[in-house]
Amino acid sequence: MPTFVYMASCDGCGYCVDICPSDIMHIDTTYRRAYNIEPNMCWECYSCVKACPQQAIDCRGYADFAPLGHSVRVLREEEKATVSWRIKFRDGREKNFVSPIRTTPWGSIKGPAEYAPPSAAAMSSQELAHEPEALKVDVLPTLARSRLKKGLV
Amino acid sequence: MSRKTVFVDADILVIGGGMGGCGATYESRYWGRDLKIVCVEKANIERSGAVAQGLYAINCYMGMHWNENQPEDHVRYARNDLMGLVREDLGYDIARHVDATVHKFEEWGLPIMRDPKTGRYQREGKWQIMIHGESYKPIVAEAARKAASEVYNRIMVTHLLMDSRHPNRVAGAVGFNVRNGDFHVFRAKAVIVAAGGASHIFKPRAAGEGMGRTWYAPWSSASAYALPILAGAKMTQMENRIVLTRFKDGYGPVGAYFLHLKTYTQNAYGQDYEAFWRDSIEKMVGDYVNHHPVPTCLRNHALLEEVKAGRGPIRMVTKEAFKDPHKETVGWENFLGMTVGQAVVWASQNIDPKETNPELTTSEPYVMGSHATCSGAWASGPEDYAPAEYQWGYNRMMTVEGLFGAGDTIGGTAHKFSSGSFTEGRIAAKAAVKYVMERNKDRPEISEAEYTQLKKVIYQPLETYRIGRNEVVGETVSPSYLLPLHGLQRLEKIMDEYVGGISSHYTTNEPLLTRGLELLAMLKEDLALLGASDLHQLQRAWELQHRFLASECVTQHTLFRQETRWPGYYYRADHPHLDDKDWHCFTLSRYDSRTGRWDMEKAPVYHIID
Amino acid sequence: MFVHNPFAALPASIPPVAKQTYVVVMFLLVVGGTLFDLAHKGSASYFFKHRRAASFGARRRVSTGEATALAVETIVVSVLAAGEFCSMLRRLTHILTMYGFVLYVVSTAIMVFAYPTAAAPGPAIVAELWYLGALLVCVGGYWFWFLQRVDVAAEGQSRFRLVRADLFIVSLLASTTFALLWAGFQGADDHTWANVFFGLYLLASTVLFASVPWSKFAHMFYKPAAAFQRRIEHANGFRGNLPAPADRPVTFGSARRQPQNY
Repeated sequence: MPTFVYMASCDGCGYCVDICPSDIMHIDTTYRRAYNIEPNMCWECYSCVKACPQQAIDCRGYADFAPLGHSVRVLREEEKATVSWRIKFRDGREKNFVSPIRTTPWGSIKGPAEYAPPSAAAMSSQELAHEPEALKVDVLPTLARSRLKKGLV
Repeated sequence: MSRKTVFVDADILVIGGGMGGCGATYESRYWGRDLKIVCVEKANIERSGAVAQGLYAINCYMGMHWNENQPEDHVRYARNDLMGLVREDLGYDIARHVDATVHKFEEWGLPIMRDPKTGRYQREGKWQIMIHGESYKPIVAEAARKAASEVYNRIMVTHLLMDSRHPNRVAGAVGFNVRNGDFHVFRAKAVIVAAGGASHIFKPRAAGEGMGRTWYAPWSSASAYALPILAGAKMTQMENRIVLTRFKDGYGPVGAYFLHLKTYTQNAYGQDYEAFWRDSIEKMVGDYVNHHPVPTCLRNHALLEEVKAGRGPIRMVTKEAFKDPHKETVGWENFLGMTVGQAVVWASQNIDPKETNPELTTSEPYVMGSHATCSGAWASGPEDYAPAEYQWGYNRMMTVEGLFGAGDTIGGTAHKFSSGSFTEGRIAAKAAVKYVMERNKDRPEISEAEYTQLKKVIYQPLETYRIGRNEVVGETVSPSYLLPLHGLQRLEKIMDEYVGGISSHYTTNEPLLTRGLELLAMLKEDLALLGASDLHQLQRAWELQHRFLASECVTQHTLFRQETRWPGYYYRADHPHLDDKDWHCFTLSRYDSRTGRWDMEKAPVYHIID
Repeated sequence: MFVHNPFAALPASIPPVAKQTYVVVMFLLVVGGTLFDLAHKGSASYFFKHRRAASFGARRRVSTGEATALAVETIVVSVLAAGEFCSMLRRLTHILTMYGFVLYVVSTAIMVFAYPTAAAPGPAIVAELWYLGALLVCVGGYWFWFLQRVDVAAEGQSRFRLVRADLFIVSLLASTTFALLWAGFQGADDHTWANVFFGLYLLASTVLFASVPWSKFAHMFYKPAAAFQRRIEHANGFRGNLPAPADRPVTFGSARRQPQNY
């Protein structure tokens, strides 16, 4: 299901060009609007669809196995931390879904340098950052070297 | 054509901004407060990698604090699923840390579903918990951005650079800016490779537009393997390609269906077929067939045999489960949060699982290191318990000094998935910081001759196209250059026909593999004539180069292992049985880029004894 | 300097009727070019076919009053305030260029039809608006051309690359740039250079108005229609098959940053 861009809605902002993991959203030289230059390298990840501020990008299932007449459209609303989907079958049946996408404000993650610097003891231990607290157990598990035996057991 | 060269100095260079790379970037900053941490990504870390569209489950979580699982249990599970051959030291290491990673994800804002009765994470299965993960990657990318000194998006790294003063030590990397064409030279004291594994090395089932609907992301272009291979790092288990049983055409995930919705499979006549094949499987692999749960490859094998016997298509029985509205929602959201393409396929063909039992199929093979498979670089293990043979100093360091790996890059660590890959990135990062500090921040020297030569090589396809274009009217058919897509399709056809792809039901033998190597050799020569019309095509050209090298490696490993260890993934028709006497071991390879030779050897397996 | 009517100051050998004919011909070229474009591409047919399909997908009827309000909103927000652009900088360059173009064209028509002779060049304000209009087009246009253009800003193409999508903006900038140079040299009595730039100004303007079937000129007529249709679809529930906004509170802020691009 590669993506395509609606001519009347695209304002040539470049968000899709910026986000596409496959580098296949580019700008057409006649209309200066976005289009999918390589549908056969499109994963239908919907990153461009979600990123477009004008909802100008849609998806049409891969022509080698998806009959026409279907529609799967999305509205990702960061301010509400939701993603809404509207699925229309070829025969007209419809299904709608809404899911949360985040439980904390965007940009709110505490960066690792904001934590107290690790001690030398922590550095030489096997513990990773925020351990053992983040493990929610008292001690990081380990194995005795003798527990590992070579060959078939 | 004079191109600007941009020099970037880093203490730690993280190549790849996916789950592994973001984990490595985050952890590097925690331990290296005054270090320069640089993350370089071919696309945009906001959505790059295999988790671009999100995930609906985290498939590696112990739940130690709820006494659900212990790390040892996970090792046994992975060992069992991979027919005995995993790096148990590395697997234990990931399993003991992964809970902390998942708890941090939740703290950062990833919505994890809770069981309403117990208040614990909602389990999908023994190892899997369910999440609303549409924004999994943006959340993780935010954590990485808060840690990195610099994040370089749209730079494709093509080669590692070696230390000109010490053999076998990495010194940095080179690549090009996919937007403006600048040449980038990264100098680093430690390098963590966390790039993508290999999709598109075997011919996919859909060959038109549908080529894009691979199970594993089409932008996983095997840089995780090519970069270390070219640097001379040893690779392991590259023959251990994975084949997946998934929904037809869309390759949508079946895990939630089997585990949470409790669906099951049938042949075209409504019969349960797996039990029918049990005895013949036992003849091939012995007692492994009795393990619980049944190893993934053996389940594939049963499905494959049933289809070959003419009783396909195989269907998943969903009609009963989908009558429950909650399960129906889970079934659809499972796709929308992870593989939207499957929802599109069903919408296009009017498939409603309440009324139809959807078709399943086995995919084309992939080579990667984080799923029910573990191909990748051979890495040193954790200092506290890894056997001496598995340890040469720093955790997750490859056999090249200063070169670390995480995620799909590292071999032997099956069933780590997204959370395990991020965790492995953290493990590699702490080790890399230690490595840098203990060398008193001593910096390797890059060689101007080396990167100048690489600059020529990297941009050559643009030049080849520009000159060759003068010869012909139409651009695609030329006797003097090869377009990247042409090379990719030839590679995929060779691997498919000779190295065990779908057209041979994943079967190969020594004569086929030998012929395959001959054809690969000719393709290798033709790769010197790749022509790229613009920077996007140049990226495709280098993705092909990386895929090619990984494919050569896969073929050598497949030739070397003289047994059929994972029926259902691939078959050596000339060695059709599992052979624990001679092949209960890892395969290792080392490539010499000057001579083009592959040196193969075996390495022992260590098991955790009860 | 910016008060002289440059059309009135043209040599008497160019009679007013010649200047006026030229303006009328340019106007007809735009109208004819747009109509030709519509007919040739069948874009009007597409628009009405899409409208019918959208009305079948409607969930509720949109009243005449509501439609009128949406039309007014389209004009005010999408056209006058350039609301179709999601990027603020892009919106700004468009507003500068759009209002500049309107001033430039309208004041040209006034001067050519009402004050075409040196004897009665008309009030200074008309000429001042002409200069202002041309200047606004240049500021907005060059800013867009060198810095904002998405193929440059997002794709990394060279600022000096020329493709068919550039036909409108380049011919427009050529017209206004040569116009200012012509008027400037004419005002300074340097008739050689004034004639050179007048010729170039005529050439650029002719290309601008005659190339309507090949350039993005006509998009300024199509876009408002598309924007209005989109508003109707959101009001009638069809929404182009998009899901309705989620019924959840707005509490998380936005992560949206200007694309870092590269």
